[in-house]
Amino acid sequence: MSDTIELAAPGRPLGVYTRPRDNAGWRGWITTVDHKKIGILYGVTAMVFFGIGGLEALLIRLQLATPDGTVLGADTYNRVFTMHGVTMVFLVIMPLAAAFANYLLPLQIGARDVAFPRLNALSYWVFLAGGLFLNVSWLLGDSPDGGWFAYAPNTGVVFSPGHGMDYYILGLQITGIASLISAMNLIVTVLNMRTPGMTLFKMPVMTWMILVVQFLLLFAVPVITVALFLLMFDRSFGANFFNPEMGADPLLWQHLFWIFGHPEVYILILPSFGIISEVIPTFSRKPLFGYPFMVFSGIAIGFMGWGVWAHHMFVSGIGPISVAAFSMSTMFIAVPTGVKILNWLATMWGGKIKFTVAMLFAFGVVSMFTIGGLSGVTHSVAPADTQQTDTYYIVAHFHYVIFGGSLLGIFAGFYFWWPKVFGHLLSEKLGKWNFWLMIIGFNMTFGPMHILGLQGMSRRIDSYSPGFGFEFWNMFASIGSFIIALGVLMFVINVITSARRARHEPPVGPDPWDARSLEWFTPNPTPVHNFDELIQVNSLDEFWHRKYAEDENGRVVRVATAEEVCQDGSATDTHLPSPSYWPVVLAAGLPFVGLGLIYTLWLCVPGAVLILMAIYGWIFEPTDDPDGPHGHHADDPSDHDEAEASSEAAGETAEEAPVG
Amino acid sequence: MADVAAVDNGHGTGTGLSNNKLLMWVFLGSECLLFGGLISTYLIYRSRYADGPAPGDIFDIPFTSVSSFILLMSSLTMVLSLSALQRGDIRNNRVWLLATALLGSLFIGGQVYEFTTFLREGLGYTTSPFSSAFFTLTGFHGIHVSLGIVMLVSLLISSFRGTLTKERSETVEIVGLYWHFVDVVWIFIFTVIYLVPSPTS
Amino acid sequence: MIPRILRTGRPAALIGGALLALAGCAADAPLDTLKPQGPISRSIDSLSDPIFLIAGIVFVLVFGASGLIWWKFRDDHSTDEFPPQVHGNFRLEIAWTIGPAILMAVIGVFTLFSHFELNGEDRTDIVINVDGTATSWDPEIVVIGQQWWWEFRYYFDGLDGVDLSDPRHLPPADIVTANQMVIPVGSEIGLSVTSRDVIHSFWIPALNGKRDAVPRRVSPWKIEADVPGFYFGQCTEFCGLSHARMQMQAVAMNPVDFQAWVDEQMQPAAEPADAAAQRGLAVFEGQCTRCHVVNGINGAIDDQPSKGADLVANAAPNLTHLMSRTTFAGGIFDLYEPDGSLNRTQLEAWLRNAPAEKPAYAEGRRGMPAMGLSEGQIDDVVAYLQTLGAKPDMEIIAATEVHP
Repeated sequence: MSDTIELAAPGRPLGVYTRPRDNAGWRGWITTVDHKKIGILYGVTAMVFFGIGGLEALLIRLQLATPDGTVLGADTYNRVFTMHGVTMVFLVIMPLAAAFANYLLPLQIGARDVAFPRLNALSYWVFLAGGLFLNVSWLLGDSPDGGWFAYAPNTGVVFSPGHGMDYYILGLQITGIASLISAMNLIVTVLNMRTPGMTLFKMPVMTWMILVVQFLLLFAVPVITVALFLLMFDRSFGANFFNPEMGADPLLWQHLFWIFGHPEVYILILPSFGIISEVIPTFSRKPLFGYPFMVFSGIAIGFMGWGVWAHHMFVSGIGPISVAAFSMSTMFIAVPTGVKILNWLATMWGGKIKFTVAMLFAFGVVSMFTIGGLSGVTHSVAPADTQQTDTYYIVAHFHYVIFGGSLLGIFAGFYFWWPKVFGHLLSEKLGKWNFWLMIIGFNMTFGPMHILGLQGMSRRIDSYSPGFGFEFWNMFASIGSFIIALGVLMFVINVITSARRARHEPPVGPDPWDARSLEWFTPNPTPVHNFDELIQVNSLDEFWHRKYAEDENGRVVRVATAEEVCQDGSATDTHLPSPSYWPVVLAAGLPFVGLGLIYTLWLCVPGAVLILMAIYGWIFEPTDDPDGPHGHHADDPSDHDEAEASSEAAGETAEEAPVG
Repeated sequence: MADVAAVDNGHGTGTGLSNNKLLMWVFLGSECLLFGGLISTYLIYRSRYADGPAPGDIFDIPFTSVSSFILLMSSLTMVLSLSALQRGDIRNNRVWLLATALLGSLFIGGQVYEFTTFLREGLGYTTSPFSSAFFTLTGFHGIHVSLGIVMLVSLLISSFRGTLTKERSETVEIVGLYWHFVDVVWIFIFTVIYLVPSPTS
Repeated sequence: MIPRILRTGRPAALIGGALLALAGCAADAPLDTLKPQGPISRSIDSLSDPIFLIAGIVFVLVFGASGLIWWKFRDDHSTDEFPPQVHGNFRLEIAWTIGPAILMAVIGVFTLFSHFELNGEDRTDIVINVDGTATSWDPEIVVIGQQWWWEFRYYFDGLDGVDLSDPRHLPPADIVTANQMVIPVGSEIGLSVTSRDVIHSFWIPALNGKRDAVPRRVSPWKIEADVPGFYFGQCTEFCGLSHARMQMQAVAMNPVDFQAWVDEQMQPAAEPADAAAQRGLAVFEGQCTRCHVVNGINGAIDDQPSKGADLVANAAPNLTHLMSRTTFAGGIFDLYEPDGSLNRTQLEAWLRNAPAEKPAYAEGRRGMPAMGLSEGQIDDVVAYLQTLGAKPDMEIIAATEVHP
């Protein structure tokens, strides 16, 4: 608070309240409030968890490769498949989407940062704390074993007396805080901070999809928060929310979980839809076909996603009328999804497609997601679902959606925006290996699961006997899973070798793909202050329209080179928010509270101390440190600087509400 | 970030609201679902009182009506404190902030009294699904009111340190948004729990 | 390039088209969902087949279009010109919004008809002979899931007035059996599905889809088999440690055989004759009757509710006619060798240390514990168990083998 500064010592903050000055080195990463660095942190962390989740997947496939598998044993298997699901959903796909959202969303709307930079840092550190907390359960030998869906009463204290489900509950609560903070922040950013001229309907489809996702998170996270609280109170304080002995209805958990869980599916898939809606037009060299339809179908999915949750419960005994209603609503959510697929195809149709690796992955999304969507239609048919649900047919379905849809889209994003983030391209050659190994391995792994499911193989079984016809395709799928792993390895190799190669190669130009949206106005990699000057937006795909125009025959002609259009990143008079210690300190307190709730309340004490200290520091730290150099901060603090300082101070006071 | 400075008071932002105020609105939107989940849970379980007291047996509607009225009045005092500050009337701003915090505390006191009475009458947290749902829902609301009181007290401290001036009335407005939300939620809860005829054993 | 896209689409193509063909050759897949053996599952199948077909057609169309795009519209670097800049086509887009909506509506109508038919009841009474009197039985069986096996209870006076709300204290039934449900063919059999502990799911794919077994909820369901036979099933809702090892079978019999089965099951256990079995009975009464029931030993049919209400997973299987079943331990072990002799090795291993054979939280009183019996005692108990119930026909033994 600027006012506090004045009280303490006019113009100079007290020592403890100074903001960190270091923008470089590891300190710079820990205290950063730069949306781009936070985006990178999200990405790197999520990829590490991707490695862990992938390892768990390989263990599952090893166990199931042969009948009567003995690689893991029932107990470990249950823990591994639970953590595989939790990790991939909450610690991989969601944060990878957050990585793209953080890095690109402010750039795509032409802003210098998000609305609340410190909250942004907080959401990352809280996510990391939650992820570490969940995975610490492996080291302490008591990881969750009740499935990612955690159906009560199996996850109640009677049937899961260990600490595994406590880790699940608290871990998801912590990551939920991260998602919620991030969602609020990004919503405010999109609604308030668009560059002049950028109306909502001039935003890229990707920005739209991220916005829809943030609204889904905003409303879905509190529902699982309630569910997790109720389960926690049942387990810890003897409440009776899911205790059938006292007359409670275990289906309450399922309703709450899936009211969150189904929007969650769209939370996972829509960012990828957004990514490929940028990649496909760029490489087809055509504008996106039917922009309004793409936007409205995304919004429609966001709305309809709330009315389909009970299709996860068709066989739970909720009654035929409910099943009929949810069966119908589920069928109709296929419509906006189908529109998207057809519009992507129409975008490519008649184009001059450059099949770069990014485009290959985007192409993969369109085709693989189609398969997932179609199998989805087959089990929206409630009677058919009574045969398909909880079999490998479902496992196949949602892997086609989440791997084939979300993850491939995210990889498309990696290849597309790598130069934007790191200033050099990834190798196309290795990238093609990456793509083909992944897509072949993916289809080998999950394609046969359709067959296994229809042959009656149940989900979540740690072994199967010979004689049920499951042997061949399981072995086949397990081989496929290692091909996926090889594909991912190619990506890692690509990242390393490309970075090495880039050291003695000229930097990539400003516009390697002949791209369309605002983020490409900035040089590669993006300078810390993003834009030298704000962009005045006149049309959708502003960047492209500054490069090209149509002549009188309707032919596209170049009017400017990318070098002319792009900013050079040389502005030095932009003022940036100072880094802060407190987001990481606050987040560090949370796992202690979690461990304290599980083991001994004494552990909560250091956690509470860290959190209170951080909140205190957060509120009373100066808006920025007048002595500290940061970014391209002007050497002489000008008057607009002070205006900014006081305004941000006023702003940050209210932040205590959602945070504390 | 000159652009941010320019937009701060809501002028030139996409929505016309300042970032902080919009953040509070968005947060309250999320809170609706939190209470929605808890209220639904209560509605499902209100008639599942196992062997314990039924809701209709123990609710003291006149008492709760009075405490609800107190909470509603605190919304009025909240409005008065904001309008005082917007006029630059620091003194009245403090008076009404204090009144709001006190009314809120009175409500919390009433809730504590109600809980202990219920406990004496045999309605513990673990008695039945109904009791768990009741205490959880009203408890979550109580925590929200308490957090609101903390915010009000922070505003008071800030005021006595001379930093809560007319120019910063938006902070009071934002806290007010939260406070009104918590009141509105209570109207829902009061209706759903107390006014809708409850099952008796 | 075409072969590549085909290669990526290969497994998917299998699903789209060849699945139906594949289903036909799945003689070795006893849980196959596409091989209905009764009118209920057949009606599901006849609903899903056209939907698979529609999905297959859409798949071919989308992949066909993708293939064309891949082939025709790749940049050949011949010119530097941009392709025509089409921004959209409102009519076309309306068409492919409404088109799928109509398609879904049509599927929806068929779905609704089928759905309500599947949730309706169409039972007719079966006349059977119970203790010498002809009884008109509304064929409905109580199905109870628990960690990790299934109990089936038959009430020949019908379920009216049978209070199923507390599955740990159910009214005495005429027949209580485990893991192998016996039904007469050609009749719709109603099921009342519930659970004693966590949520399970009852599923005999050849006869119908699934229905979850939820504690304190009694969900109606039904099955019907065309011809006598053995229909395999598996718990499909994750229910804890040994979820994978919670299997069951429906044994469909013609009415005469079913009557014979009923007659046999209604008999209480007889006092064993030979010395080893008598010693085994003594051990059994000391060690096993805490959880297991044998009618005539620690429970007559008319006064014995479920046993072992103190257990978390509650009761253990009723063993009165153990030998008339062909599997044990939740349907995962064969009780008989292929040659028809007792599967003594497995049974002894089970009695020696059950948790080693089937993962369980025995110390948490879920699943059978290691009883600490001596080898002699195990032999005696096996001798006693062999007196419980009549051995089924060789044909049945062969057909129900779960672990060849």
